[in-house]
Amino acid sequence: MTESASPRTAARTANRRPAMQVFRDTGWRHAVAIPALLFAVLPVLWVISAAFSGSSFSSQGLIPKEVTLDNFRELMTVPNHPPFWRWFFNSMLVGVITSGLTVFLAALAAYAFSRLRFAGRRAGLLSLLLIQMFPNLLAVVAIYLFMIRIKTMFPALGVGSLWGLILVYLGGALGVNTYLIKGFFDTIPIELDEAAKIDGATHAQTFFRVVLPLGAPVLAVIALLSFITSQAEFILADVVLGPDDNKRTMAVGLSRYILIGFDSRWGPFAAGSLIGAFPVVILFLFLQRFIVSGLTAGAVKS
Amino acid sequence: MNDDHVVAPGRGTRVPRPGRVSLTTALVVKLGVLVVLNGLVLAGIQRMLANDEVAMAVFSGLALLVIDGVYLSERRFVPGKYLVPGTIFLVIFALYPVLYTVYISTTNYGTGNNLDRATAIAQLEAQSVASSDGAIRYELQILAQGDVDGPLAFLLTDPNGNRFLGTDAGLEPLDPSQIIADGRRETIAGYVALNTGEAQDRVDEVTSIAVPTDQGEVVNDGFRAAFAKLQRLQYDSATNTMRDVVDGTEYTVESGYFVAPDGTRLLPGWRANVGLDNYQRLISTSSVRGEFLRVFVWTLVFSIMSVVLSFALGMFLALVFNNPKMRAQKLYRSLIIIPYALPSFMTALVWKGMLNTQFGIVNRMLGVSIPWLDGQWMPYVSILLVNTWLGYPYMFLICTGALQSIPGDLNEAAIVDGASGVARFRRVTFPLLLIAVAPLLVASFAFNFNNFNLIYLLTEGKPSVLGSNAGRTDILISFTYKLAFGGGRGADYGYAATISFIIFMIVAGISAFSFRFTRRLEEIRR
Repeated sequence: MTESASPRTAARTANRRPAMQVFRDTGWRHAVAIPALLFAVLPVLWVISAAFSGSSFSSQGLIPKEVTLDNFRELMTVPNHPPFWRWFFNSMLVGVITSGLTVFLAALAAYAFSRLRFAGRRAGLLSLLLIQMFPNLLAVVAIYLFMIRIKTMFPALGVGSLWGLILVYLGGALGVNTYLIKGFFDTIPIELDEAAKIDGATHAQTFFRVVLPLGAPVLAVIALLSFITSQAEFILADVVLGPDDNKRTMAVGLSRYILIGFDSRWGPFAAGSLIGAFPVVILFLFLQRFIVSGLTAGAVKS
Repeated sequence: MNDDHVVAPGRGTRVPRPGRVSLTTALVVKLGVLVVLNGLVLAGIQRMLANDEVAMAVFSGLALLVIDGVYLSERRFVPGKYLVPGTIFLVIFALYPVLYTVYISTTNYGTGNNLDRATAIAQLEAQSVASSDGAIRYELQILAQGDVDGPLAFLLTDPNGNRFLGTDAGLEPLDPSQIIADGRRETIAGYVALNTGEAQDRVDEVTSIAVPTDQGEVVNDGFRAAFAKLQRLQYDSATNTMRDVVDGTEYTVESGYFVAPDGTRLLPGWRANVGLDNYQRLISTSSVRGEFLRVFVWTLVFSIMSVVLSFALGMFLALVFNNPKMRAQKLYRSLIIIPYALPSFMTALVWKGMLNTQFGIVNRMLGVSIPWLDGQWMPYVSILLVNTWLGYPYMFLICTGALQSIPGDLNEAAIVDGASGVARFRRVTFPLLLIAVAPLLVASFAFNFNNFNLIYLLTEGKPSVLGSNAGRTDILISFTYKLAFGGGRGADYGYAATISFIIFMIVAGISAFSFRFTRRLEEIRR
């Protein structure tokens, strides 16, 4: 009996550690985590509550007194409501086309830098590295004046045009993304290309049928990231799209809408923000593990 | 298929390849795209030339030649096929804006100086036309050529009884013998005289007639009288001066304006190259320099403190959560990164609402009325608070990743050596962590240096500073935006571009620093 009892007692003491020891091991971690959690989540809870509550800006609390959809209705149906769905559509259009074209054009250039050897390759890479240091929002004044000139000749591409904004975004995103994608292409074994070439593939076939499919997951991640970036961009969209409310993206439209006055517009703004943030948050949650591994891969890469 | 050929195709041998059919289709598509592109670009070049955008037209032509050459010529430059599309976009929308910024910074472009020179001179002259006290008054009879609906003209009689025919082409002296009677009125051959009713029907046309003369123009004053307006300002292209014919003032050209000897400027001015005036103003005018330095210092403090605070909080939480025994870790992690997942324009505005002095939920929950976004110091505190909230999830993510990549045996070895928890953190974990994330910290600093969204949407740079374009919380990029697009005092693109150029220089400096830094770190790690 005693022989069999002693291991059991040992196990029991191990299971029921003194409270002090539990706290020192992991308990204090929870004690820190919970305030951190509140700090992260409270503002978000507040918007959600604002979107569904009937209370005004000045009386709304963390938990809505009654749940209504009035704010959504006001944003989308009352006379003179802002062109909310238009903003939403514009943001989607700009985001999807920008990210798709960015990844395609950057992948083309990355393929050349990664796989082909040619005179001027080093210089090309170096100038790419230089250009991508300067985010093009820094040149916002020049871009605006340039787009004004474009507008007098080609109204469909100048100030006040979503296509113009897409071009501007493309120019800003190509440098850094070419560099990123080149890095990933470098990790795809070159033996695969060579095998394809021996089988008679042209350089175009190698690109479209070997390198592009192998890089697809990474390209998808970069496309989604550039989509997310485009959804929050404010300064270039504001300046390039001009004052027409119907041409605005979600970021500019909603911001201009609420900056006029919080008092009467807070609820509809919160409702619109929730809808506008929805695609981004979904993508983000989906991408989370890629982002973590990508970030650290970039950080600790030798 | 002949195996020999596939394995070792001789040089110059054309090997029939699988997929050749699809290649032909590809060829058709390629040619189609090129044809459309050529058509569009050539049409575009025409329009550019029509608008005097010669440089742009030349660039487009060259770009088109390169495209056609790369995709069509027999001597193929393969890398070009992959590089050309992206390069064209980069040149137009990334490289050119930088160069154009530099150019604009050497001009006075802005409100009051947004016309070209010829337009500005024409406007000045047109504006200076006014009736002066000594104006000649004419008797007027309105005529119409052919019948009553024909083009209008003025039959004018000056105080001396001389007759003139006035049209948009000018004054034409008439001989008294040319005057013929038309009922109670007078006219000349080929014209009919309009009565008051007929003139009234075409009043807009009547008032739009301005008969040009040497010194101004003759316009109607009602239907029976007209007077000569005097053009006070007259441009002399030989001396490049503007002369006021009434008081004789000579205006000379000075950085995009006509300026009188006493310093009075004529408005509008025009776009002119002013050399390094903008930079000189920044360096030598103490109020301008003071404003710039104030904004610059806050930009630095803001971006450094943002990185330090969010990194400190993010790393602390990553350390706290870096314990496999802890429960509900996954839940905590996914909730903590929520601020990072939301679009920043939205969260900045939400915080603006939360920090509202009167109605914001922060003050209401705490039962206080702190002016979070107003006063001497609170706006700075609030901005850093909000930016820490926005930034720490990212730092948490990268620190978590970096912590997991630190080999566990290092810490175990330290434990065996008897190192305390604090010592292990200070001597092992923290240095390794810092090496891993340092490049990202520099990148985060560079990002915050230009964090327009947060500043503009949270405070709009307010509180404002009396007599200055830059508010107390403006950073350089939001200052640039205000100078160019802020309304209020009108746009000053030239000076805004100057500030932009300085930001370029700073960013280049940061990047150069970070390159050296990372290389050094890599050497350390080896």
